[in-house]
Amino acid sequence: MTPIWSVASITFKEGIKNRVIFGIVIIALLLFAAATVITNLFMRDIVKVAVDLSLSTVSFAGLLTLLFVGVNLFAKDLDKRTIYMVISRPVSRQQYLVGKFFGIVLLAFIITFFLGLLSAIPVAISKRIYYYPEAGFDWRIFFIAVVYIFIKLCIISSIITLFSSFTSNSFITLVLSLGTYIIGQSTEAVRVLLVSGIEKVKISPVLSFMVEAAYYLFPNLSAFDLKIQAAHGLPISSSYIIWTVLYAISYMAIVVSIGTLAFRRREFP
Amino acid sequence: MRPLLVTLLIISLAFIGNAFAVPKVAQERVALRQEEGISPVIPSPVARIVALEFKGLLSDAIFSRVMTYYGGKLIKEEELSDEEWDWFYKSIDLATDLDPYFLDPYYLGAMNLPWAKKVKEVNTLLEKALSYRSWDWSIPFYLGFNQFYFLHDNEKAASYLMEASRRPGSSSLLPALAARLSYKGRKTENAVIFLQEIIKKTEDETIRKSYEERLNALKKILFLERAVTAYEERFGKRPLKLDDLVRDGAIREIPIDPYGGEFYIDADGTIKTTSDLVHKKG
Repeated sequence: MTPIWSVASITFKEGIKNRVIFGIVIIALLLFAAATVITNLFMRDIVKVAVDLSLSTVSFAGLLTLLFVGVNLFAKDLDKRTIYMVISRPVSRQQYLVGKFFGIVLLAFIITFFLGLLSAIPVAISKRIYYYPEAGFDWRIFFIAVVYIFIKLCIISSIITLFSSFTSNSFITLVLSLGTYIIGQSTEAVRVLLVSGIEKVKISPVLSFMVEAAYYLFPNLSAFDLKIQAAHGLPISSSYIIWTVLYAISYMAIVVSIGTLAFRRREFP
Repeated sequence: MRPLLVTLLIISLAFIGNAFAVPKVAQERVALRQEEGISPVIPSPVARIVALEFKGLLSDAIFSRVMTYYGGKLIKEEELSDEEWDWFYKSIDLATDLDPYFLDPYYLGAMNLPWAKKVKEVNTLLEKALSYRSWDWSIPFYLGFNQFYFLHDNEKAASYLMEASRRPGSSSLLPALAARLSYKGRKTENAVIFLQEIIKKTEDETIRKSYEERLNALKKILFLERAVTAYEERFGKRPLKLDDLVRDGAIREIPIDPYGGEFYIDADGTIKTTSDLVHKKG
């Protein structure tokens, strides 16, 4: 356990020192400030608009951090050949990769924790300005949604870990991870669309098989998007939480394990 | 020395050019934006896919575009064309497909579309709101109003108002209003049942008394309506006056209207009262 932890803490420290993080946090703060102004343009459901803007900002900032900082944390060791220093120590390749994964997860945690707390400010302000009596809003569900943003970022971290384990270039990892994110966000909507059927369009069995395959292969990130629930205070059942968390953990375990298998056979430059 | 001078010269010339260009660009943009007008609305299944995790945000953006466009027209005191109203409806429909719980588009639609002769469309929109915003009494209230005011369907209006009054936070006047519409829509029995249910939940003493009074009157109307039906079955003809019921032994006496009016049989055979179920002033 200790080697994993030391790799994780080094990765985290290296990541948090990156100047890109400052840029991302500043953009997030500006967006929070903008949210407080923009909500005033709406009529009644202004708390909903504030929640939309704040949580989207948290999610977007987390995504930027992982794609621009997280991806590079993997590539750096290989590019600068510092990986030999680590591998020559009593750290196995699997431990190294898992440690890297946890380091990025820690980075995602700090970002979501910090921005998640700050995102409550525009919501609280708009709630003070005007709260329509029929608008349902619940702080508990708001923070559950923030936790789910973190879980989603963990899944993306595992995807980045997988792609970094066998690609030779950080740009390829970035593109593949971004592609997975986009597919993961839309696979559920596409599947629903195909099941409900489009009028006068015949869907080929090949297409529906491909969509079904993608649904199982790629992470269903829509399951971790609770922004609309947070915006309207819609209750989330405990069974939903149990199953989605189980889904996230098992998915990450599979992806990271496959990554370690690929990494074991990898030849370093 | 000379390269520095050249650079400075280029910068100063560029500044002058820029200073001329900026206001011109702004002018050109205004002209272009006016030509843009309304843009086609993307179908909601596509929007749901391309919005990724930002469906709520896209919904906000589409709605605010409608709001600013409509607001701009109002400021210029221009009427929206049929095409523009169509776009207005479709955009709001899309915004509420992306986030079906978002109140503002429903509200803007309910307040404006019926007056632009789009009652049917706005009712479809509000039916969507009715199922999603299941706690919000204002949605069935708007629906009830549309049925009553635009479609002149009192029965449906009453059933929507009843739905509204069952939801938390609704105005205490709604049950009385619904019961009144029910009665006008010849659904006295519904109105009686509805009021009985509401009275059970009413804690305020004065409000409960006013409901009980209305319930009392409606029960009497129901009693008379049933007597008229029984009379028709027995004698094979409709009674002309309530006195006929007493004379032929269908009822013992005509009940007294608690609102101080008198019951009578209307030309279409329904029971009405001269008080119209309101206390006369004075």
